[in-house]
Amino acid sequence: MPSPTDDALVEAFQAGELAAFDLLVLRWQRRILGTIYRILGSEEEARDLCQEAFLKAFRGLKDFKGEARFSSWLYQIALNLCRDRMRRRRGRSFVSLDAIGEDQGSPKAYSRDAGPLELAEQGSLRGLVQGALATLPEEQREVIVLKEYEDLTFLEIALTLQVPLSTVKTRLYRGLVNLRGQLERQGVKGAAAVPAVHA
Amino acid sequence: MECTTVREQMLEALYGEAGEDTLRRVDEHLAVCAACRDEMAAFRRLRVDLKSYTLPALTPGRPRWLRPAWNPGLPVAAALLLAVGGASLWRVSVLERRLLEQDARHAQALAELQAGLRAQARPAAAAPAEAALVLRLEELVTKSEERQDQRLAASLRDLSERSEAQRRYDLARMSAGLSYLDGRTGQRAARTAELMGYVLQAAERK
Repeated sequence: MPSPTDDALVEAFQAGELAAFDLLVLRWQRRILGTIYRILGSEEEARDLCQEAFLKAFRGLKDFKGEARFSSWLYQIALNLCRDRMRRRRGRSFVSLDAIGEDQGSPKAYSRDAGPLELAEQGSLRGLVQGALATLPEEQREVIVLKEYEDLTFLEIALTLQVPLSTVKTRLYRGLVNLRGQLERQGVKGAAAVPAVHA
Repeated sequence: MECTTVREQMLEALYGEAGEDTLRRVDEHLAVCAACRDEMAAFRRLRVDLKSYTLPALTPGRPRWLRPAWNPGLPVAAALLLAVGGASLWRVSVLERRLLEQDARHAQALAELQAGLRAQARPAAAAPAEAALVLRLEELVTKSEERQDQRLAASLRDLSERSEAQRRYDLARMSAGLSYLDGRTGQRAARTAELMGYVLQAAERK
């Protein structure tokens, strides 16, 4: 049995079938939670704002006109909540790259070969990526998250953020350059550049 | 082609959104520009690193209509569902009661004020200005009551909507958890059955 589309579920909800909203939540909550988590970097805040996003969606869905896709509208709600939260904590960095450096010891070079040592170090790479992402300006971080982790097309991102296509690509380019610089400063050299380090 | 001009097209190629013409132009540029070639390679390596930023363990559930008929975890989960739903309803009823009590207090205070005003009112013939003032005050009090009623009704509607949304979200989260439990329980049952099969086979061979 094919799953109903988002449009069909929205229509059903607007016709009074409240259970249609449950299906939309089941379908989208993981992705919205993941998006918020990667933008804010906090699991607890992500759960709070994810819940808030769906509460807002529930209250606003009866007036949803369908001019944008439901997913774009939902992402917009989530991103607006993230921006509000970041405005409130502006000036305070939630990740200290110095602290990450201390946790990991001296910067090491990483390779792609997945030996036991490298597998253990993958946890560290994850932390470094998380930290590097946190240093990006919000607009670059949003585009990186939507492109790299939510796999939206450039056009979908432009529609979600309501900016021109060229703006999306500019932010993405600058974000990638900044991320590359941050990770290289932390000793992450990338594949085929440095041989694996074995203890 | 200028590097800044081809940059957008390089990103399209990097993310698999480039058409044939764009890919050809990018390849032609990379063949002659070492800086862009290095940058493209660096971005590819970076994308691999970015994939390491996985999410914490989450439990994506199967849709409700795919749940099997019964499993031992369901009664416990059903009790939890009732508790969650019951808790939501309890919260609504407590808040509703508080709002109604507040409304009753307001109504009583207004009634006392009106009674006091009437007690102080003189016959209209003796003090027409004061009588007009009393009437005006009564009119203001009545309008204030109406506004209070409207605000209370709006608050109750808002509270009801928020509670309903919260309940649905909680139920959806619970359903996702149930589906995960279904899967885990089914796997354990399958393993147990497999082990029983081995034991029976071993016993028969003896």
